[in-house]
Amino acid sequence: MTRAEESLERLLASRADGEPGFLAAHRAEGAATFRRLKLPTTRHEDWRFTSLAGLSQLELRRALPAGMPAAADLPPAPRIVFVNGRHDPALSDLAGLPAGAVVQSLADALARTPELVEPWLGRRVPTSDHAFAGLNAALFEDGAFVVLPEGARAERPIHLVHLASGAAGAAMHPRHVIVAAPGARAEIAELYAGDDGAYLVNALTEVYAAPGAEIAHYRLQREGAGAFHVGLLEVEQGRASRFRGHSLAVGAQLARVESRALLAAEQADCALEGLYLANGTQLHDHLVLVDHASPHTTSRELFKGVLDDKGHGVFAGRIRVRPGAQKIDAAQSSSNLLLSDDAVADAKPQLEIDADDVKCSHGGTVGQLDPNALFYLRSRGVDELTARALLTYAFAAELVERMGPADLRDRVRRLVASRLAGGAALLEAA
Amino acid sequence: MLKIEGLRARIDSKEILKGLDLAVGAGEVHAIMGPNGSGKSTLAKVLAGSEQYDVAGGKVTFLGEDLLALAPEKRAAAGLFLGFQYPVEIPGVANMYFLRTALNAVRKARGEEELDAMDFLSLAKEKMKLVKMDPAFMNRGVNEGFSGGEKKRNEILQMAVLEPRLSILDEIDSGLDIDALRAVAEGVNALRSPERAMIVVTHYQRLLDYIRPDFVHVMSAGRIVKSGGPELALHLEEEGYGWIEKEPTSPAAGRPAESRP
Repeated sequence: MTRAEESLERLLASRADGEPGFLAAHRAEGAATFRRLKLPTTRHEDWRFTSLAGLSQLELRRALPAGMPAAADLPPAPRIVFVNGRHDPALSDLAGLPAGAVVQSLADALARTPELVEPWLGRRVPTSDHAFAGLNAALFEDGAFVVLPEGARAERPIHLVHLASGAAGAAMHPRHVIVAAPGARAEIAELYAGDDGAYLVNALTEVYAAPGAEIAHYRLQREGAGAFHVGLLEVEQGRASRFRGHSLAVGAQLARVESRALLAAEQADCALEGLYLANGTQLHDHLVLVDHASPHTTSRELFKGVLDDKGHGVFAGRIRVRPGAQKIDAAQSSSNLLLSDDAVADAKPQLEIDADDVKCSHGGTVGQLDPNALFYLRSRGVDELTARALLTYAFAAELVERMGPADLRDRVRRLVASRLAGGAALLEAA
Repeated sequence: MLKIEGLRARIDSKEILKGLDLAVGAGEVHAIMGPNGSGKSTLAKVLAGSEQYDVAGGKVTFLGEDLLALAPEKRAAAGLFLGFQYPVEIPGVANMYFLRTALNAVRKARGEEELDAMDFLSLAKEKMKLVKMDPAFMNRGVNEGFSGGEKKRNEILQMAVLEPRLSILDEIDSGLDIDALRAVAEGVNALRSPERAMIVVTHYQRLLDYIRPDFVHVMSAGRIVKSGGPELALHLEEEGYGWIEKEPTSPAAGRPAESRP
């Protein structure tokens, strides 16, 4: 066992009793799964390009309660804030939720109204065959429990904020459960930020979109430079529901986001998108699995990476079409922009199609900045550094502009521009 | 204003410009004509500083400065402008933003104050009228999905906003219908002044009906082989370029009369 696995084993063994039966069972299943699978290595097909060697050397411990890290900047209400995996009511502000909607601490909900959580918690999560899902099930302390009643319309995005402020080895396992009743509509933004320690965030979000529900989900990952961020997004979609998932990765030394969507009924429509900006020695990995379990379902995937220095981007997309699931329309695209000779992009599309009347496509590019465009800008007086930043931003802009809520889009614009060499000039001129 | 002496340039290892001489004075409009492959576009791009080409020899002085020593953006700041034959599409960068960034970069280099968004907008509106450009294009990506004519109008708009001392227009007439050609030519003519000069590169005489040149030069095989007044363009229209290759190279290549002792 690695040092991290030994320390996690100690954490698994020290869990307290006294939780409701369904939760205890969920935790026990998760603990058994992690003990069996351990931390994935690059021999695991889904982790071929992403080595957890750095994480495995950490002595992981339960993150201690902490205040807000200095660098954090909170989004507008409604927001529910967690620091080191624990709800912080003082930083939270739930003003502006639609009538009947509930956004609360999952730990509170489990303590007070477990019967409301029981039908959903872990319902679609691969607790029995996924090491990090198992670990999250066994060790999560809190997260958000979001319930949108039938026909609810959230006017403003609901922010789920996770802040990490921890010494090396602090481990957090936030767990969010989002339930959208028929016809409910909301934008939900998960924000991750933290200080510079070598901490682990192992986040798991489950989303249940009932028939006709429409959810736009954003994940803004700007963890501290030493962090390991592992995220799993599990989505189950009912008839004619729509789910839009956007992932932005800028932070962490290693970040892996896995998005899994089950299109369980006809007319379900899913789009998963991501933008990652890795520089230094950062690694940003996105794994996407779309499961067309029902006929007449559609999915779109669009991922883009901007890789500089020794940055490493990984994208793997798996589209599965089950037997008899006819009239599927699925498309996948991943592109990478390499800004240095040492940057690396790995892409792995996979189609598993067991039906014959389907439309599935995948494509992608790996390239550098267009010298003609660079010359065009410079010939107009724009200096080389700014011209490079402008073109790099332009590559990313397609995804940035799809961030729905204006406030969030603005945040993302600034975040992306500030990450580019010469990007400060873009912000000034904006 | 501009003096080119013995300019040689290569792409890969192929020599395209083979010792070209040209002098352009303030207030003058020079047309450079010639068959395909004669080096017209290469000359335009080398003057603007394209890194696609290696300058293998010669000297270019622009407003007293060694032009070839300057980066492309410094050439723009010094007052040089290239209207591209094939303007580049840059999705994701709004035309308006691009133009303001360019103008402010050039103003900053000249020691002038940068324009804020409001002042820029009114300037841009005025210039758009000049080239009859639909203001809706300002919010689109740079040249993104523009027709050939719209792209060329956008080039002239940029020229009108940047107010360069020397404009080099590379086949600004290619792919234009007659209305677009008129609009582009009007935009160009509006910028003619005793302080400014222009080099108009074209394959066809047609453009010169709208932009009257003071001098016409014919390029062949990387050199200017014949120079004259506007009547030379008419002669080319009638005779084609075939006779150029047959005639011995004109000793008076470059600017006629007074520029050559």
